[in-house]
Amino acid sequence: MSESQVYDEVENHSTVREVCANGLRMETSAVEAKLDEGNIQEAESSLREGLSLNFEEARALLGRLEYQRGNLDSAVRVFDGIDLHAAIQRLQPSIAEKRSSRRSRSNESVTTVSQHATGLLLEAIYLKVKSLQKLGMIAEAAQECKSILDAVETIFQSGIPDVQVENKLQETVSKAVELLPELWRQKAFALFLLYSGVEANPPSLASQVDDSYVPKNNIEEAILLLMILFKKFHLGKMKWDPSVMEHLIYAFSICGQASALASQIEEILPGVVNRCDRWNTLALSYSAAGRNKVALDLLRKSLHKHERPDDLLGLLLAARICSEDSLLAFEGVGYARRAVANAIGQDEHLKGVGLRMLGHCLRKQAKVASSDTERSHLQSEALKSFNEAIAFERDNPDILIELGVQYAEQRNSNAALGCAKQFIDVTGGSLLKGWRLLALVLSAQQRYSEAEVVTDAALDETAKWEQGPLLKMKAKLKIAQLMPMDAIETYRFLLALLQAQRKSFGSPGSHMVQVEDDNEFEVWLDLAKLYSRLSQWKDAEICLEKAEAFKPYSAAIMHTEGKI
Amino acid sequence: MSLIDDEDNTPFETSNTSDLDLKLQSSIETLTQILGPIPSLSSSQDSSLTLLHDTNLTQTISTHLKLPNSGAGNNNLCRWLYDTFQSSHPDLQLVVLSFLPIIAGLYLPRAVLRATSLAGFEAILLALYAHETTSRDGQPITVSIPDLSNSSLYHESKAPIKNKAVELNMTIVSPSLEPHGTVRSTRRARIVGVALELYYKKIALMPISSKIEFCKFCLVWATGKEDGDGEDSVGKKALSGDQEEASSSSNGEHGVDGSKEKREMKEELSEEKSWRRVPLPWELLQPALRILGHCLLGPNRTNKELTDAALAATKSLHARALQDVDSQAILATGSILRLGTMASETSPELDHTEIRDYMNPVISL
Repeated sequence: MSESQVYDEVENHSTVREVCANGLRMETSAVEAKLDEGNIQEAESSLREGLSLNFEEARALLGRLEYQRGNLDSAVRVFDGIDLHAAIQRLQPSIAEKRSSRRSRSNESVTTVSQHATGLLLEAIYLKVKSLQKLGMIAEAAQECKSILDAVETIFQSGIPDVQVENKLQETVSKAVELLPELWRQKAFALFLLYSGVEANPPSLASQVDDSYVPKNNIEEAILLLMILFKKFHLGKMKWDPSVMEHLIYAFSICGQASALASQIEEILPGVVNRCDRWNTLALSYSAAGRNKVALDLLRKSLHKHERPDDLLGLLLAARICSEDSLLAFEGVGYARRAVANAIGQDEHLKGVGLRMLGHCLRKQAKVASSDTERSHLQSEALKSFNEAIAFERDNPDILIELGVQYAEQRNSNAALGCAKQFIDVTGGSLLKGWRLLALVLSAQQRYSEAEVVTDAALDETAKWEQGPLLKMKAKLKIAQLMPMDAIETYRFLLALLQAQRKSFGSPGSHMVQVEDDNEFEVWLDLAKLYSRLSQWKDAEICLEKAEAFKPYSAAIMHTEGKI
Repeated sequence: MSLIDDEDNTPFETSNTSDLDLKLQSSIETLTQILGPIPSLSSSQDSSLTLLHDTNLTQTISTHLKLPNSGAGNNNLCRWLYDTFQSSHPDLQLVVLSFLPIIAGLYLPRAVLRATSLAGFEAILLALYAHETTSRDGQPITVSIPDLSNSSLYHESKAPIKNKAVELNMTIVSPSLEPHGTVRSTRRARIVGVALELYYKKIALMPISSKIEFCKFCLVWATGKEDGDGEDSVGKKALSGDQEEASSSSNGEHGVDGSKEKREMKEELSEEKSWRRVPLPWELLQPALRILGHCLLGPNRTNKELTDAALAATKSLHARALQDVDSQAILATGSILRLGTMASETSPELDHTEIRDYMNPVISL
C-alpha cells in the first residue's frame, strides 16, 4: 500500500480518531485544529489537562498524531521539543537508585516505571526518525536513529535484570536496529558498486588519514562496505541479513579470494545460519583456496548421519577431495556411491559426476592395493564407472580424458588413443592436457614421429609462456628417435624460455620461481645425460655444475656424475 | 601486434565533432550496402547513440550474424564490425560492442565444432582484446582485501594503528595481457574473456536486448542446448524477428531477400541444433558471471525478460559448476542464484521498519 493510500484511509477515519491514556479518552478534533493552526503548545496543554499527562507524554502523543495524519514537518517540530539528552539524564538515576535499594519493596515498580518511560521516549524518537526518513532527510534520520541505540546503552548500562523487557521498548529497539543500516545506505551503495557496472570514482586520496585503507576500484570498495556490515552483525549492531552474506560470497569468489571468504564465514556466530549450510560454504571456500584437508573435515561433519548424509553437493565435493589422495580413496568411494544413489529426480543430471568421482576414487585406491588381484579388480571397477558416466554425459570432455588416462594406465593404448582424440575434438583443442595425453600415448606405442607432429601442433596452439612442458616432451621424443643434436637444440629453446620467464615474473622465493628452479634443474640434468651419452664429457660436467646450483645434494646428480 | 593504430590509448573518449559525423555517415552507408535499406536509418541523420538503441538495426544485424558461415573471414558484416570498431569513433565502438554477446556466443560453440571458418569473428574479438590490452597497458587487474583493524573512509578502528605496512590479501583478478595476432586454441577462452571484460566496463551503456542475448548464450555454453524445450530459442527468435521485418518492409526486392534468408535461417537452425557445451575455464567464467550479476541484480533488475533470462543462465551455470565439482564456480554461481531467487520472491514495497499500529485511529500511551 502506498503512503498516500494510507493517509487517505486515516483521513476517512478522522471522525473517530481519539487518544487515550491513564484510563481517560478524548477525541482529537480540537487538538488537531490547534495543530493545524501551528499552535503546538496549546495543543500540548489541552492534552496534558484532558488526560493528565506530563510534558513528554503529551509531546509523544501529539507527535504520533501528526505522524499518523501525515503532517511530517509538524511531527518533527513536536518531537524537537523533547530534550533526549536531559531525559536520559533523568532516567538514569532511577536505575541506579533501584540497584542500590535492591531489596526494597518499591524495586519492581521503579524498574517498570523507568522501562515504560524509556519506551515512550524512545518510541517518540523513533517516530521522529521515520518522519525524517520520509522527508528525505536521511543523514539526520540516521543520526537520530543511532541516538536511540546509544540511549538504550546508556540507560540500561548493566542490562535489564530479572524483569521482563516491556514489549514496546523491545519493539522500538529492534526496529531501530533494523532501520539504522538502511539509513546508513552502506548496503545499497555496496550493491551499486558491485552490480551497476558504472565505475564510480574511488574516494579521493586527500580525504584519507595516514595508514588507512583506500579502495582502488569498485569491487574493493564494495568488499570493504560488505565486510563492515558483516562486522556490525557480529557486534550485534545490526539485524542479520542473509542477503549480505550471499553478496559477500559472490564478491569474494569473483575475485578468487576464497581464503579471505573462509575467514569471514568463520566469524559468523553460531545459531545465525544453519550449521550444515555454514559447514558446506566453508568447505567450498577452503577447497577453492586449496586447503582440501580442512574442507574434508568440515564435510565429514555435515555428512554425518545425524546431519545431512544425503547432501549431494557435500558428497560430490568430499569424493573429489578424497580422489586426490590414495589414502583417502577408500573413504571417497563411499561418498561417491552415496552421491550416485542420491542423484535422482531433479538431481539426476549429477549422476554422471557421481560415477566419474567413483571412477576417480577407485583408480586412486588401486594404486595402494595390497595384491595384484585387488588392484586389477579395482581398476576394472574404475573403468566400468567411467564408462557408465560417459553414458550420462556424452560430451563431457573431463570424462573422456579421465577414461583415456585410465586406459593408458592399464596399457590399453588403442582405447586411450581414441579417448585423447575425442577429447581434443570436443574441446576444440583448447586444453593442453588433451594434446599431451595424445602425444604420450603415441610415444608409448613407439610412434615417435607422429607424437612429434602432435607436439608441434600443440606448440602452434599454445602461447609462448605455456610451451615449457611441450618443449620438454619434444626433446624426449627427439632422444627416443636417436636425434640427440635436435634434442639439445630443443633443450636450448626451453632454457631460454625458462630464463625469460624468471626475468618477467615473480620475486625470488615465490612459488612460481620454485617451480621454474625445478624445471631448470631437470633440463640441465637431462642435458648432462645427453652429453655423456655422446661422450662429450666436458659439456656434461658443465651441465651438472649448473644443475648443482639448484640442488646441491641431489642423488640424481651424483648418479650421473658417477657414470661420467 | 597491435590491431589498433591509434595514438590515443582511450579511443572511446576521443572527439572531433565534424570528423566523427563523417565517420558515422560513411559507416552507415557501408552498412546499408551490406544489409540493404534499413527503414529507421534512411531518415535519421542524428547521432550514433540512436544507432545503439535502434531496434530495427539491432534486429537486422543480429539476424545476419546468426546466419551459418557468418563468422567467415570474407563476411562483409564482420568486416564492417571490425572496421567500425577500428574507426575509434566512441559511440560506434559501443555499437560494435553491443553485438559481442552474439559474436562470442556463436563463436565458442562453433569453434568447438570446427565446422566453419571463423576468421571474421576472430578478427573482431582480437580487435576488442587488443583495445583492452592497450587501454590497460597490458597490466594485470588485482584486488586486495582490506584489514578492518585499519581505519578506512567508512569506519574508524579502535585498535592502535600499526606502524608496519599492512599485509593485504591480494589476488589477480585478470592476469597481464600479452598481445595476440591470432587466436590460438588454448588462448581462445582468455581472448573472449578479455573481450567480455571490456563489455562489462561499458555495460551500463549497453541496450537491454544485448544483455538478454548474452544470458541466452551463457545457457548454450553451459548446457550445449538452447532452451530446454526448444521454444523461444536463440535461432527461432531470430527467425520470427526476420519474419516481422520482412512483412513490414514494402520493398519487393527486400522481401525476396527476406524469404531467402529465412530458408538459410532454417538450415542454420538445424545445424546449430548440434551445439556442444563449451569448456568454461575461470578466465571465461569470471567475466561472464560479473555480467550475469549485473543483469540479475543491477539497475535493470526490474526488467522481467532480462532477469528471467539471467536467472535461467545462472541456473545452468550453477548446474554446470556442480557437474565440474568446481568449488569456486559453485560459490559464485550459487550466491547469485540464491540472491536472484530471493529478489524474485520478495514483494518489493514492504516497510518492515514502520510502526505496528500505524493505521489505528485510537492512539494510546
